[in-house]
Amino acid sequence: MSRIEVTDLSKCFGTKTVLDHVSFQVEDGEFLSILGPSGCGKTTILRILIGLLEPTTGTIRKDGADITSVSPDQRGMGIVFQNYALFENMTVLKNVEYALRFRKETKGQARETAENLIRRVGLWEQRDKKPGKLSGGQQQRVAIARTLALKPDMILFDEPMSALDVDTRLALRKELKDIQKEFGTTMVYITHDQEEAFAMSDRIMVMEEGKIHQIGTPEEIVEKPADDYVRRFVLENLQIKVDSLSRFIRAEEKR
Amino acid sequence: MKGKKRGADFSVCLKILLAAFFVVSVLLPLIAMLVNMGSTDVMKIVGGAKFQKACLNSVKVGAVTTLISVPLAYFLAWSVTRTAMPCKGLFMILFALPMMIPSISQGTGLILLFGANGLLTRLLHLQGNIYGFHGIVIGETMYVAPVLFLMFSDVLTYEDYVPYEAAQVLGIPRLRRFTSITLPFLWKPLISAVFTAFSLTVTDYGVPLTIGGKLKTLPVLMYEDVIGLLDFGKGSVIGAVLLIPAVIAFLVDLLTREQSKSAFVSKAFEQKKDRGSLALATAGCTVFGVFVFLPIAMFCALMVMKNYPIDLSLTTDNITKTFTMSGGEYLRNSLVIALATGLLGALIGFLTAYCSARMSSVTSRLLHLLSITTMAIPGLVLGLSYVLFYKSTFMYGTLAILILVNMMHFFASPYLMFYNVLGKLNENLEAVGLTLGVSRARIVRDVIWPQCIGTFLEVFAYFFVNAMITISAVSFLANSVTRPIALLIPQYEAQSFLECSAFVSILILVSNLLVKGGVYLLRRFLSRREIV
Repeated sequence: MSRIEVTDLSKCFGTKTVLDHVSFQVEDGEFLSILGPSGCGKTTILRILIGLLEPTTGTIRKDGADITSVSPDQRGMGIVFQNYALFENMTVLKNVEYALRFRKETKGQARETAENLIRRVGLWEQRDKKPGKLSGGQQQRVAIARTLALKPDMILFDEPMSALDVDTRLALRKELKDIQKEFGTTMVYITHDQEEAFAMSDRIMVMEEGKIHQIGTPEEIVEKPADDYVRRFVLENLQIKVDSLSRFIRAEEKR
Repeated sequence: MKGKKRGADFSVCLKILLAAFFVVSVLLPLIAMLVNMGSTDVMKIVGGAKFQKACLNSVKVGAVTTLISVPLAYFLAWSVTRTAMPCKGLFMILFALPMMIPSISQGTGLILLFGANGLLTRLLHLQGNIYGFHGIVIGETMYVAPVLFLMFSDVLTYEDYVPYEAAQVLGIPRLRRFTSITLPFLWKPLISAVFTAFSLTVTDYGVPLTIGGKLKTLPVLMYEDVIGLLDFGKGSVIGAVLLIPAVIAFLVDLLTREQSKSAFVSKAFEQKKDRGSLALATAGCTVFGVFVFLPIAMFCALMVMKNYPIDLSLTTDNITKTFTMSGGEYLRNSLVIALATGLLGALIGFLTAYCSARMSSVTSRLLHLLSITTMAIPGLVLGLSYVLFYKSTFMYGTLAILILVNMMHFFASPYLMFYNVLGKLNENLEAVGLTLGVSRARIVRDVIWPQCIGTFLEVFAYFFVNAMITISAVSFLANSVTRPIALLIPQYEAQSFLECSAFVSILILVSNLLVKGGVYLLRRFLSRREIV
């Protein structure tokens, strides 16, 4: 069981406050989306969660233990960056295998783990290609496999779909959920796309200017929006999308 | 966070070490030179007739050379990038040749062709009065235009055709298209080219020394004062004056440099295929190509002739003579210096660029500024600064100081090449490493360095070639044991061993061609292996 408890987290860069005393929990095995416009502090939360940034105030607890100043690789977390940050000079197989070489596993074990993961994400045919020869969606799968190799109990995603086309996004959404089910990993997913957040999440955390407006299940947010901002930013936006498409569906029904 | 702290300490140490290196190898010597001015009567030197005459000559030579070489280089670049002219590869190699021989060879070449006993003087019954102002301008143009040609080709290759298409659709007349699209696009590179041309010309002493005759420019005056009269005070004053155009050129370049040049072109220009353009481009490139090739052909001929112009029979005497006059040892000096400059320079360039491009801190920005500042220091000035600063240290009189001075003299361009490549790599690579439990140093070794090998080779070749041809920074620092081979050219010329000096120019050219060719083949081999 792994549960994250964030208390009173702040981050200031100089005089600029990017995160303003936020507290929240991530439940074991859940899919939590952090939804907000660019500059709302969501990426900062992610970087603090994994330990790439030190918070100005606040603590992070994992299963009760304080991990606020534990080094990133000791937190049992993985991260998939926006543009994946793959090792362009290595093949798909080497990308996934690379970090395992620094663990206690033998060469054979490392190779086997990597090969299994590559099969799992459907890139077996591509295993000897370099990332530059892959499509955006394939590159993202490599990034996920590379993260999964170290068996994290939690994976953080930093707007991973923003560079992909609509079809690939839809396919990858399902795949992410499948991976979550299979490996039982907790996922924290950053996005500014309301539709994406509602389609994938167990819970959504709505943010603006370093503050949390609401955390809840998609249903809770729709039924009881916490304030005007949530209503405007989340619900009105979703309504526009529904309206623009619903007339086609009705037309289909009439026929 | 122990692991992270240790990594941070390591990178901080590296940055401090590099900053200290720049202070010792650039800042302190320069300060030493400026302080040395204090012991002389600056006003008396600056007010002297000799100084003012030389100053005026320098400005004139610089202005006229700039006026000629900028349009010429633009025309050559236009021919190569915008027309479907044949033999482009050949022309590009030809235009690169002058950058692989010392500037002083340009002067020698012109004398051999157009001097009193020059080949063309005799063949075409010319006057043979190449010496003086116009000789310097022609020589400097041959020295500067190829550099500008590379600048313009680069700019033109990255110009996008889409705005022109839009203008065509909107029915905007041709002249307006030029003034509202082409000029704004070219304005910055053009200014940059003008200042580069002027400062390169004004700070060069190779060409005016050989072909200037009675006309003396500032660098020649400085050279005579320091080498001939050992007057370091006067040398320092001239050095400080020479810093002015170079610093202005540097500042202009800094201000006009595009923050991030869009590296992709959505639509490339169509290459002109009409007869007029093709004929113009081919003719222009052929004339310039022949002009830069002639001196080299002349060197090749001269070095195997018995006694030009009296006895034209073939011989290997000149080659043997060069080697008996220790030419071999000086060649070995040069090769050692050039190899070490290339390897060490590329290594330090990589490390510095890594620190400034991939870490954000005050030290990083300081390192960046220090690195590109080296662009503003003319070789002669740097050389004199080194004499004054390192005179009483163990480094003085060794090959090491020549390697160091070359490295810093040519540091800026290679540094910027690394800086651009490193800046383009994904910004999160080190962060990914941290989350995977892989240290920064390992990520650099396993991921970042392998993607910089091509640039490393290119940078190595750049350092090597420039270390082989330079005579400016090293001229005050070399002694009879450590002398690089390029400095034999002025020496042989003074002794009237023109045949041997021609042979030396060819030796330098061949070494450079071998290294350039080797790097080209190695890069091709590496990129082929990449595809598999």
